[in-house]
Amino acid sequence: MESGDVASTPPVAELVGITKYYGPTRALNNVNLEVRAGEVLGLVGDNGSGKSTLLKIITGFHRPSAGSMRFLGLPMKLRSPAEARRLGIECVYQDLALIDELSLWRNFFLGRELSSGVGPIRRLRRRTMKHICAEELDKLGLVHVRSTEHAALSLSGGEKQSLAITRAIHFGVRLLLLDEPTAALSVRETRNVLKVIDEARQRGLGVIYIDHNIDHVTPVADRVLLLEHGEVAETFQRGQLSADELRDLIARTTRQPGLAAREAR
Amino acid sequence: MQALRVMNVVEDQLRRREVGPMIGLVALIAVFGVMSNHLFSRQEINGVTALASSIGIVAIGVTFLMISGEFDLSVGAVFALAAVVFGKLVNGGLPIGLALLAVLALAAGIGCANGIVTTRFAIPSFITTLAALLIVQGIDLVVSGGNTILFFGHSTITSALGGTIPHTTIGNRVLWFVGLTALLWFVLERTSYGNWVSAAGGRAGVARAMGVPTRRVKLINFVVCSMFAALAGIMQFASYGAASAQDGQDYELLAIVAAVIGGTSLFGVTGTIIGTFIGALILGLLQTGLILVGVPGSWYEPLIGAILVVAVIVNVRLSNLNLQTAFGRFAVRPDETPPSSLTAGGRG
Repeated sequence: MESGDVASTPPVAELVGITKYYGPTRALNNVNLEVRAGEVLGLVGDNGSGKSTLLKIITGFHRPSAGSMRFLGLPMKLRSPAEARRLGIECVYQDLALIDELSLWRNFFLGRELSSGVGPIRRLRRRTMKHICAEELDKLGLVHVRSTEHAALSLSGGEKQSLAITRAIHFGVRLLLLDEPTAALSVRETRNVLKVIDEARQRGLGVIYIDHNIDHVTPVADRVLLLEHGEVAETFQRGQLSADELRDLIARTTRQPGLAAREAR
Repeated sequence: MQALRVMNVVEDQLRRREVGPMIGLVALIAVFGVMSNHLFSRQEINGVTALASSIGIVAIGVTFLMISGEFDLSVGAVFALAAVVFGKLVNGGLPIGLALLAVLALAAGIGCANGIVTTRFAIPSFITTLAALLIVQGIDLVVSGGNTILFFGHSTITSALGGTIPHTTIGNRVLWFVGLTALLWFVLERTSYGNWVSAAGGRAGVARAMGVPTRRVKLINFVVCSMFAALAGIMQFASYGAASAQDGQDYELLAIVAAVIGGTSLFGVTGTIIGTFIGALILGLLQTGLILVGVPGSWYEPLIGAILVVAVIVNVRLSNLNLQTAFGRFAVRPDETPPSSLTAGGRG
């Protein structure tokens, strides 16, 4: 999707002046960002730049010390992760996507089980859930999976990531946060995960892709935000900078001359 | 292609956690049945079922808790406490129904304390419930005064809990054991809560990220586990008419043995209630069977130790079973290029 279309849709999430203190330590300072529906926002920064803090604030694990958030145009104050989930905010963590020992269909519907019955006595609709899970696995092209009863262990790291993202799409999540989804994946697996992220974008989800490695983000992000010492240091549109230049920026080697030359153009 | 599908079905069935213990149970019945003519006598069946249901009711509660990733070492002491306190209350003149409710409430309180200390202070439940074991054991002695508490009364409730099945000499407890096994099986396998129980036993954080209230689930399971142990203790008392602080000794370990023989993992998530049901039957059968075939009683525990190790090895093998590779046909993932070590290294 072109950035022109993206600009005409309302933001899924909007953060204004987010500041976070842990005791006397300032982890975030006056961070502003917005993600629109059908947009992948890359959030890049070195260790300790405040990426994780920002993620925890958006997912309701932490409350900001100052600043405000809006979700789908309405003010949002998150009191718990459960509240964020109810609103349609979900995060797929690098190695916490699925429970390894649990079967695939149980993983897929974890926390959102389908059941039928009267009052407190409700039975799982196992057949329906297995069927839906099998369909989603087929769509992902995971044909080697022979049964949805198999444990998630039978999937590779990239397949787990893909399934977790597909799950978010299936359940109508509006804002999807990805925490280093392609870290430690092979080239082929990375490509498959990026394909699923693109699917999420096309389905109109707002996606925030968090990674310390700029190479992972650039192939799919529409915009990239560079965090440094808890502040937004730079924002780039897609194609504005090459991955090499961005990498240099993060490493703080050629930032000044590189940018100066670009802005003079 | 059809053969392949059949192989998959066979494989899925063999991979079921109950298969290993079921084979073990059948083998034991066969061995003892051949070596002794008395195994199927009324008296021996009574013995096996009484022991199996006594340990078994404790063990299915423990399994339920283990699947959610926690242990309870205090069940043996709670078993004795329930029997002793119930006896004292009833002999003191409290209506039996009220005494039953009071004891179950007491057990729920102990389970609740175990759960709160474990989840709020992030202490391994092994330690929390080891402390609870020592504390409750002390209380057992204080309450019983070191004496055996006897009960000669008779009521509908006690005969329902500790009587015999009409027209047989088999204890009612076996029906309770079957019923409670069915109940926990249903909750675990067929309800949303059961899915949360398994998920709570997985790696910390994953289930919570999916909105599962893992602390509350564990807390509830501690309470369930403790109440099952208490119920088993009350049944024992109702059945024998006697209780002492020594009742339920080693049950905390035998319950874990029954669970593990039945295919339950010590690390949570994996496990079945029916597996533990079979595990408890194996324990009951072993104790009776060994005596029948003339093996000295001192062999019982060493043998259980040996069976425990074999059971774990067999269960791990069965769950990793891949018939296609076993038959020399390598299951190639179509989307995987040969150097899969690259991706394997990335798995957390």
